[in-house]
Amino acid sequence: MIKLVLDRPRCEGHGLCVEVAAQLLHIDDEGYAAIDVSEISDAILATAQAAARVCPVAALKLIGEEAT
Amino acid sequence: MTTVPTSGIDLWADDVLVDSYPKYGALRELGDVVYLAHSKLYAFTGYDVIKDALADPTRFSSAQGIGFNDGVNQALKGTSLASDPPEHTQLRAALSENLTPRALRGLGEQIKANAQALVARLVKQPSFDAIDEIARRFPIGVVADLVGFQGEARANMLRWGQAAMEVIGPMNRRTTENFPIASELYGYCSQITQDALTHGSVGWGVFEAEREGIIPEGSARHIIHQYLGAGLDTTLAAIGNIIALFGRFPEEFAKVREDLSLVPSAFNEVLRYYSPVHVWSRVATQDVKIGDVKIPGGSRIAVILGAGNHDPRHYKNPEVFDVTRNPIDHLSFGYGPHGCAGQGLARMEGAAIIEALATQIKSFRIGDVARVPSNITVSFDTVPVLELEAV
Repeated sequence: MIKLVLDRPRCEGHGLCVEVAAQLLHIDDEGYAAIDVSEISDAILATAQAAARVCPVAALKLIGEEAT
Repeated sequence: MTTVPTSGIDLWADDVLVDSYPKYGALRELGDVVYLAHSKLYAFTGYDVIKDALADPTRFSSAQGIGFNDGVNQALKGTSLASDPPEHTQLRAALSENLTPRALRGLGEQIKANAQALVARLVKQPSFDAIDEIARRFPIGVVADLVGFQGEARANMLRWGQAAMEVIGPMNRRTTENFPIASELYGYCSQITQDALTHGSVGWGVFEAEREGIIPEGSARHIIHQYLGAGLDTTLAAIGNIIALFGRFPEEFAKVREDLSLVPSAFNEVLRYYSPVHVWSRVATQDVKIGDVKIPGGSRIAVILGAGNHDPRHYKNPEVFDVTRNPIDHLSFGYGPHGCAGQGLARMEGAAIIEALATQIKSFRIGDVARVPSNITVSFDTVPVLELEAV
């Protein structure tokens, strides 16, 4: 299963991930990203990829994804 | 293994700097990686190659500086800009701590109100220069209030901030002329004390954090230096570009006027269309293979952000300015561990200006715009606003 993981110390709370994938993450009370759905099925893979792609500080990653 | 494509272009020639995109396009057609024989640099031109390099500090290091001359790279030693993880991590945290969207939450409404008030004064005039009256004035006010600058510093901010970017270029005339001015800023920051800054400002708070041991001793002055060096000329360019692009593409301005939810998308598109910082640097730590091209370890790399932002393999019809495109993944703030620490503040400023223009101005025309060549930040020097019709 592909997992969405956050490098929390690296997150600065820019919130772009939430803009593209509000169903997978939110900004928590401390102002940083928090993952709501970490197990990424095919149905939400594209959304999760978009979230990882737009993180401006590369704090969000998908692991277990086959290298392309 | 094929030979790396080579070009004789000088990225910092005046005629390139004032009209760079056709030249970047020609470079990108030569390859994602092009050797620039004139400057002895490897240029990265493609979106994916640039993004991968910025995400990978192990192979593409900042520790030998991110500038194009030895003097500036020496001067930047010990800053978050010129370091790699793990050293970079704490320096970066100290720099960005007060710039995160959460830390800036309280500032947002004030910035919006300031933008509305500025535009409200201007719409009473039939014509004005958008660079003087908006692009310069607005970010100077924001950064001065944020850092808590008063007196001497406030009066010098613009020339200091511009010089700090200019000296990142190669050792050309512009760099030579600006080193003494950048040194004034460095000298000022190395002596600045907490009581010189407005009580309660972000700059004041950085000194407070140093006193409490939250950030390393001596780092407060570096951080103030970086706020000024990085936060002004870049935002100035971005805000000038907003008005220049809305003036050139009035139908796109009309779309934002009709639908204010397009404001963030429009600002992303402004940043993608004209990158405020057109080029930045890394050094390859080892022999690296990109596609068929081998880059020898130790090579200095010119990461051409503007070329990546116009890569047709990533953005369809990149020469079209489209406020509905929302290119949220543009490269103008860089990317990865060194991605612009002030991007949250920049977004607030850009959105505040676009919203103020869109709510108070029905239409305007721009006269002849002018660029003055500069090494790193590419901005307009004049954007005359004419025949303005207020709402």
